Amino acid sequence: MRMICNIASEWIERAAKASGLEAELTRRGFLKLSVCALSGLAFLDLGDAFGEQAPLVILDNAKGIILADPTRCVGCQRCELACTEFNDGRAQPSLARIKISRVLHFGPSGPTGGDGMHGDWGDGLVLQGVCRQCPHPVPCATACPQNAITVEPETGARVVDPAVCVGCRLCQGACPWGMLSFDEQAGVATKCFLCHGHPKCVEACPAGALHYVPWRDLTRDGGAQRSGLSVISPESAKACVDCHVPAGKTSVK
Amino acid sequence: MSESDTPTLAQAALASVRGASAEARLIAAEEVLEQLLARGFGECLGTGTETDPGQRVTAVLSGLPEIASLASLSGRTMYHDPALLSRTYARILDRKDVPAMLMAEVIRSNSRDYPRPVLVELFEAPPFDLAPAVIEAALKTMAAGEEYRDISFTTTSLGTVYLFSSLHLERSYAAFLAEQDEAFAMNP
Amino acid sequence: MVATRGGFAGKVLRVDLSTGKIGVQDMVERYEAVLGGAGLGYRVLWDEVPAGTGPFDPANKLVFATGALVGTSVPCNGRATVTTIFPTCWPRPLVGSGHMGGHFAAKLKYAGYDALIVEGKADKPVWIMIRDARVEIRDAGHLWGSGIRRTTLELSQEMGPDCVVAAIGQAGESQAPMGMVINSVSHSAGGVGGVMGAKNLKAVAVQGSGAVRIAGDKAEWEKLIKFHLSILGGNNQHVVPSFPTPQAEYYNPASRWVGQPGRRWGAAKPPVELAGDIYDLNRIAYRTNSAAFFLGEEAWKYTVRGNGCTACPIRCHTMLRVPSVAVKYGIPDMAQNTCIALQFGRMFFKQLIGRKGGEAAIEACMVGMHLADDMGVWSNYGQLQRDLRKLYEGGYLKTKLGSKEYASIPWDKYDNGDPAFLLDLIPRIANRQGELGDVLSRGTGAIFDTWSIPEDEWANDHTTTYWKMGHPKHHANEDDGQCGVIINTQYNRDAQCHSHTNFVRNGLPLAVQKKLATEIWGSPDALDAPGDYTPANIYKAKRARWSLVRKELHDALGVCNWMGPWVASPRWERGYAGDDSLESKFLSLATGRPIDREELDRAGERIFTLHRALTIRDMGQVDMRTKHDLVPPWVFEDSKGAAPFTKGTIRMDQADVARAMDLFYEVMGWDRATGAPGRARYAALGLADVGERLAAMGFTPEDGK
Repeated sequence: MRMICNIASEWIERAAKASGLEAELTRRGFLKLSVCALSGLAFLDLGDAFGEQAPLVILDNAKGIILADPTRCVGCQRCELACTEFNDGRAQPSLARIKISRVLHFGPSGPTGGDGMHGDWGDGLVLQGVCRQCPHPVPCATACPQNAITVEPETGARVVDPAVCVGCRLCQGACPWGMLSFDEQAGVATKCFLCHGHPKCVEACPAGALHYVPWRDLTRDGGAQRSGLSVISPESAKACVDCHVPAGKTSVK
Repeated sequence: MSESDTPTLAQAALASVRGASAEARLIAAEEVLEQLLARGFGECLGTGTETDPGQRVTAVLSGLPEIASLASLSGRTMYHDPALLSRTYARILDRKDVPAMLMAEVIRSNSRDYPRPVLVELFEAPPFDLAPAVIEAALKTMAAGEEYRDISFTTTSLGTVYLFSSLHLERSYAAFLAEQDEAFAMNP
Repeated sequence: MVATRGGFAGKVLRVDLSTGKIGVQDMVERYEAVLGGAGLGYRVLWDEVPAGTGPFDPANKLVFATGALVGTSVPCNGRATVTTIFPTCWPRPLVGSGHMGGHFAAKLKYAGYDALIVEGKADKPVWIMIRDARVEIRDAGHLWGSGIRRTTLELSQEMGPDCVVAAIGQAGESQAPMGMVINSVSHSAGGVGGVMGAKNLKAVAVQGSGAVRIAGDKAEWEKLIKFHLSILGGNNQHVVPSFPTPQAEYYNPASRWVGQPGRRWGAAKPPVELAGDIYDLNRIAYRTNSAAFFLGEEAWKYTVRGNGCTACPIRCHTMLRVPSVAVKYGIPDMAQNTCIALQFGRMFFKQLIGRKGGEAAIEACMVGMHLADDMGVWSNYGQLQRDLRKLYEGGYLKTKLGSKEYASIPWDKYDNGDPAFLLDLIPRIANRQGELGDVLSRGTGAIFDTWSIPEDEWANDHTTTYWKMGHPKHHANEDDGQCGVIINTQYNRDAQCHSHTNFVRNGLPLAVQKKLATEIWGSPDALDAPGDYTPANIYKAKRARWSLVRKELHDALGVCNWMGPWVASPRWERGYAGDDSLESKFLSLATGRPIDREELDRAGERIFTLHRALTIRDMGQVDMRTKHDLVPPWVFEDSKGAAPFTKGTIRMDQADVARAMDLFYEVMGWDRATGAPGRARYAALGLADVGERLAAMGFTPEDGK
């Protein structure tokens, strides 16, 4: 995680490295960026951005990710149950951070009937819902007005800090894959945190359908199941503009 | 050799046997010796002295509680770790190249231990993978051979052939068990 | 607000279809002593359904009950028991249960209920909508006449894709005693579909977002779960594989653990190869393939994957794709089920039974599953199929059915073993068409009544495997000598007990089984070698008691008696021992209230004894021994004339069976002459109210008529 404290070129270099964009930054581009950013700053009056309300921007990728193979899933839900029983002390699929129940019977398109239906009543495929531990920009973290979604150092998993979360549910709306759960009992959101590097769901699967592997970017497969209600606070938006204003274009008002 | 980080001779011998067992392979003392020499245990084994390295290896192997030995058809003693390669499977492996002996071994142990007769089609399936013609030839061999006198067969009312050893199962009981086995497929 | 225990949801939902009243009552206070499941069902029937109530009377109740362990990750849970006055019980319907797996039970727990009690009768077709605290009775007019498949689809469209629907088809709607209810594609409760139909109840659909709380330490819980997984075998807790493997000393070609490395789920896209360590806990689901086990090698290439109940790693249902049947019979190319239900279709045809049924048998199974699991026709553990074969081959149908009806049935297809025959037969049964359809829809007892065929003609013929009261044997003397016989005398439908047979068929050598038996039941004489039976003894009686008590316990906790108990295991380093206290350990952790094995077994015995009390009350008769605990004559015969207690026969001896029953009543603490509990026994089990009531009616041995 990098907080925007200054706009030193060194910082942008590190930022680019962390998000794997190092190769794309030429020296000229790099300088151009920083010049524009500087002038942009002056216009935007971002003084407030550097106080306590400074937005969190996750730039580091996660280190691991759970891969799911639908052709091996036998629809037992042991992964969902391991997730909540072993982490929360209760069996609650609606809270589970890996998602089976919603696709188990009919697949992601639901009870359409006809050909092409998945799940138990269709062709049998169970398309598991697994958190992609998104790279920058992390939709759930970006949407969170409280900066409650941070990075867990061991695994790089994006995690909800229940002490900070106020239960507004904006993260749920922001996730393109609907992977955020909401714990009604505690009144906070929760999501897959990779169980400190030993995911319980992977351990629990009796069919070898889940694996814990080094992270790779699974967000660009066009598989988003729903349009996110992507709400970004003005402070966060201003922070985005720091990095994402192209060289030579109009300055931001 | 220093004590602390290099394995002892016994540990290395155990590792050799385990390596073979993990690959579902029996291993003879000579091969263990080869592997130990390749790993630099020549001196320990007394190579170049009056001590016979082969005998030394055999002694080490006999002293390992985790290892089982098998008096192979080849005449040699073969070794395996039963936790990785069971005694039952080791015997099957050892007799793999002589179908009649293989089948007799399986028929006798089934008749003695469970006890039950053996469906002849069992030998077509893995790990036996015997072709029907091979099975037929083996059955003929067993019918003729004095050493296979105890090997018999019984046919169920549906025409299925089961093999058993009369050393361990009476004919009438084997016939009953064969019928029951067949019926149980329809007795969920 | 009453604090709920862990495990239990704490609430019982009542829906009165006559009045439309919906209520919730406390579960723990009222029913904790009988745990849940069948126990709760028996208690409701005792308290609320008077003797003489018919199965289709509005006064009959349907108790869909889960258990404290349902909805958790305890391996092999997910079961619901459906207890009611059971329609196929002959000549007089008595208490009985259907047992239903799938996802219904877990979903009901997540909705916040341990059980659903359905009362009365709606004046037109309805379905019950359950979404957490919101419960409604909704109009099902648009669904009446539809099969289970369409009903499930439409209700899921209305409620959401995660809802679980338990529905009846045409058989239940026509109040066929042989009707069943199904949830999650293939999971049926036999015999209760017609009762739903008589109530005009088309379906129950459940969504639940709640939790099953684990009261105990979650790390301890995780440890116990993993331990349980580590002692699992394959289906029916067969603890050795069916194939020789370097990884095991023992194997058994008859084992249901058929997942040999090298096999593949051939119809998965792409196929899934079974490989690696057969004991790997991430590969438990590859051990079992019921289709391959029952239908032969050919079934592997049609296997898509395994399927089954919530949280069970075994996946004893096999999902098959057989493209040829779509064109040939006009049915979907996919079907799934296990055991008898998987074989529903082929069991009608004498040409297709046995190991070598081949492709034709597979096709017949596909047709059978399609029809039976959509129209909701039950097999009565294969008795339907055996009855048809006997009726046809014995010439009964030709004489009993009118010639017009007889001619209308495509017997040529039947003679040729053509599965298309079923396209005519099954709808006949489901819709109760003609005399054949109607008689077969009512169970075996209807054969005796309608056509004046003496019951003896079935009871003397071992090929029918008829046992008593309209139902067949279920793992009797062919499996387990006196122990099996005792178990089969105790129920009002087929026994549905597998505790004993799971052990004797687990595949271990006899010497190992006897060693384990000594540890568990006190003596190696608790079991015999198959077909090499010895006289009855107290240990066999104790094992029979243990088997029955554990079956009731499993049906009360919501775990699967087709897998448990788990007293044997694949682990050679444990001497192949499992754990006889697993159920009590789990319940203790789940509820937060420690309970040991003996106390939990006492609860199981309480439940079983309550079933006994209900049977006595509703038969109007205390003499269970001569009037209820019956053994059919064929058990005492051998086609080759072999004598009992000789090697190679399952023939039992009457005096010896009488002695076995003596011993059983003794270990149960029941009166020897009548096989009935006395007041003291009821009281000792916490059923004093039941004992007093029966005593007042003259139905206890000391107050007997």
